[in-house]
Amino acid sequence: MKKKIGVLLLSLVLVFSLASIVGAQEVKKEDTLTYVTIGNQNTLDPHFSYDTGSAEIIYNVYENLIAYQGESVTEFVPLLATEVPSEDNGLIKDDGKSYVFPIREGVEFSNGNPLTPEDVKYSILRGMINDRDGGPIWMLYEPLLGLTGLQDLVSEVLGEDISPADLSSEQSAEVFAELEKVIEVNGSNVVFHLRQPYPPFLNILAQGASWGSVIDKEWSIEQGAWDGSPYTIAEYYNPPKEDDPLYDKMMGTGPFTLEEWENGDHVYMKRNDNYWRRTANFKTVVIQNIDEFSTRRLLLQRGDADIIYVPNQFLSQVEDMDGVTITTGIPTQQNMVGIMNWEINTKGNDNVGSGKLDGEGVPSNFFADKDVRMGFIKAFNYKAFIEDVRMGNSIQIGGPIVRPLLGTSEDQPVYHQDLAAAEEHFKNAFDGELWEKGFQITLLFNTGNSARQTGADILKTYIEGINPKFKVDVRGIQWSSYLDALVQGNFTLGFMGWLGDFPDPHNWVTPYLAGDGTFGGYKGDLYKEWANETVEPLIEEGITTVDPAKRKEIYKELQTIAFEEGIDLWLDQPTGHNVRRTWVKGWYPNAMRPGLDAYILDKN
Amino acid sequence: MINYIIRRLLILPVILFGVSVLVFAMLMLVGPYQRLSTYIKSPAELKTANLDSLVEKYGLNDPFHQQYGRWISGVLKGDFGWSETAGATVTEAVLQRFPATLELALLALIPVIMGGINLGVFSAVHHNDPWDHVTRVFSIVGWSIPTFVFGLVVLMIFYGVLGWFPPGRLSVWASDIIRSSEFVQYTHLNIIDGLLNANLKVVGDAIRHLVAPVFSISILWWAYILRITRSSMLETLRKDYIRTARSKGVKERVVVKKHARKNALIPVVTVAGHMVLGLLGGLVITETIFGYQGLGQFFASAASQLDYAAVLGLALYFGFLLILINLCVDVSYAIIDPRIRLE
Repeated sequence: MKKKIGVLLLSLVLVFSLASIVGAQEVKKEDTLTYVTIGNQNTLDPHFSYDTGSAEIIYNVYENLIAYQGESVTEFVPLLATEVPSEDNGLIKDDGKSYVFPIREGVEFSNGNPLTPEDVKYSILRGMINDRDGGPIWMLYEPLLGLTGLQDLVSEVLGEDISPADLSSEQSAEVFAELEKVIEVNGSNVVFHLRQPYPPFLNILAQGASWGSVIDKEWSIEQGAWDGSPYTIAEYYNPPKEDDPLYDKMMGTGPFTLEEWENGDHVYMKRNDNYWRRTANFKTVVIQNIDEFSTRRLLLQRGDADIIYVPNQFLSQVEDMDGVTITTGIPTQQNMVGIMNWEINTKGNDNVGSGKLDGEGVPSNFFADKDVRMGFIKAFNYKAFIEDVRMGNSIQIGGPIVRPLLGTSEDQPVYHQDLAAAEEHFKNAFDGELWEKGFQITLLFNTGNSARQTGADILKTYIEGINPKFKVDVRGIQWSSYLDALVQGNFTLGFMGWLGDFPDPHNWVTPYLAGDGTFGGYKGDLYKEWANETVEPLIEEGITTVDPAKRKEIYKELQTIAFEEGIDLWLDQPTGHNVRRTWVKGWYPNAMRPGLDAYILDKN
Repeated sequence: MINYIIRRLLILPVILFGVSVLVFAMLMLVGPYQRLSTYIKSPAELKTANLDSLVEKYGLNDPFHQQYGRWISGVLKGDFGWSETAGATVTEAVLQRFPATLELALLALIPVIMGGINLGVFSAVHHNDPWDHVTRVFSIVGWSIPTFVFGLVVLMIFYGVLGWFPPGRLSVWASDIIRSSEFVQYTHLNIIDGLLNANLKVVGDAIRHLVAPVFSISILWWAYILRITRSSMLETLRKDYIRTARSKGVKERVVVKKHARKNALIPVVTVAGHMVLGLLGGLVITETIFGYQGLGQFFASAASQLDYAAVLGLALYFGFLLILINLCVDVSYAIIDPRIRLE
């Protein structure tokens, strides 16, 4: 008996071993693409989604009117529209205030419903009515109405500060009448009407921007999404995620359909056999979430993963792996910046010591002094950061705008470490008082982000070396505490990043430089006043100017001001990389793609 | 004994209430804007998020009793709230992950307890001979190796090199089968469902994915149970009634297995109870390394993201488990040693 069991076990071992050796060398599961990564999806609703994890799934299931052409982030190809509007083809009219999209015929959603211009109109209006707090729909409001959201429109139309959630049906109809003016169905065309020219409008509608996805009107209403009525805005405005009917359901015209979503674990997508273009090469696409890098690496090595996410610091571990292709130096639309708070809250704030300029803390207006800012900027070791932290995979930036967008150039000035200049600035700060008394400050970083931690450590090392009276502490805190510090004004200097929504300099100058920007808005009134006088008129001019040459000059000027004034510590624009089995063919980069584009890939 | 069990079960809601108040109070120590981070996940959302209105919308600034009252009234209706971490209700999130945790626990439990006890008995019986030294070294080494190191080594050898036992819960092809209309998921335990559907391929694939995590859990717990069993067994073997049994000429095998082992199990049962609690509560590191989506990872991310609905729900789950397991342990004492009375 024991002998029989032994033979059986040995046979199993041999079968498994043989299978594994063969599998490691040949293409595994040709009709399945497996991408193993980290993170999860916030939602599958394209109008709620504002994270790359969600956008990645939406990208493969839904489609937009137009898409980026190949690797370009400035050229487009038609997708659900038959033409890309331009002044040359006469589809951009009224001095850039009307965009006409002829809608493609013969396209069906994966449930068989035909795509109509009404679906496009419904999709845009549904997004604008949903307009959830902190969501992406400001990108439809800003170009179409020059506003930031439905709340602004309600105030404008009704002349009172009433929440869209409290609108009566009559008020709703009044607001809807104004809303409906932005999009019109004209035969087989859909026409967008903008209040003023907005040059990056096409980028906002291009694929990769989930808020521009076209959803099936009939199906969406059946699921419980906005019913298409002008009288029901209050009912559908700003829904909690758990009440959003499209949170976990999808119905697009794209090459794949959603099969199963177990948030935080996996997403299974199936080929849409009803797709209007050539059907996808893969029957199944799996996006698997595995947080541990070693496990992801083994899956790639064994060929059970076709593409994996590899953090920068682990790239060397896959470089020499057989049958693996690595593409590096991929341009990205993100940056990392040391944000400086011009008006720090000093009450009950551990990060500023005594809260005074007495050598044991810093005063509220510490970073409002240009010499202090320049002292920090000149003390930073940029070369070491890029070589040691980024392993050379990043480009130094000289302002908020990233390359290759308008306002940037390869020869634009960037900061360099100059400790003598830093010392000089610190000596001049606060009329020499700072140098005499010294200071004590805490720099924050969100735990788990080693690049941000190292950035803060570099500052500590060099600044403390300039004057023994300078004391810099570095403290890691959770994102929750980081957010709290930002909101309460307790933030001092910390490294943050911005991931572009659309490839236009407006999307970069606004968050960093505007007084009410995502970061600028948390720098206090001192910064607001300065920004209001200095940069905001230029930001406004930049977005309302159509001529690219003029826009280039405006953004160049904004970039120069940001650099010379040392508004923040402009650090770098990391480049990306892609790690995949060599048998995965057809991959090419696009900086605006949220992640995997399974349609362009093949394993045969 | 029945009375004792009923009494213990009746105080269950009181204890759970106490646990929930305590955990809720701890969460309240964190400011409302910090707790808002559950809803605002990235700086980009700050552009249009009205933080004050969000704090108001979710009632994060309300007094403790109001916030707790809202939560507990939901719980009494069976609604444990929405977990932002899981992107589902807490009940759905737990139910989704519980089968994976249970399957891992069930498979690990028998080899761990049987293996640990037998090794401990073996070591005690061979007290101070070379076998004893070997098992003692094994227990020290086994208990000393950090889980993440041992788990990675197991994965590298048995998957990376040999390709036998892959990470995850099922292969893609097996997942396709269980999602198909022909396959009924009665329990969401893949092995049992595979058997009930008479699909041995799924059973085989599920076992193949469980071997490595079960093995790495087993080695670590074997080491611990071995030590407890060994010392308890050594103590028991020195008792008078064992000496009497031996002097009466009872065979050594019978002395060990029938007279000594059972009485040496009391401390082992206590430890085994803790182990069951640990297994059913999820194993963060094992789940992370083996890409196994169980309750452990969920609990860890919920806690780090201040996802209070999930944290409270899981605290109640743990409280419930702890009470239930302690009850089972107490009952086991009485079964193992009839002299123990549960009054």
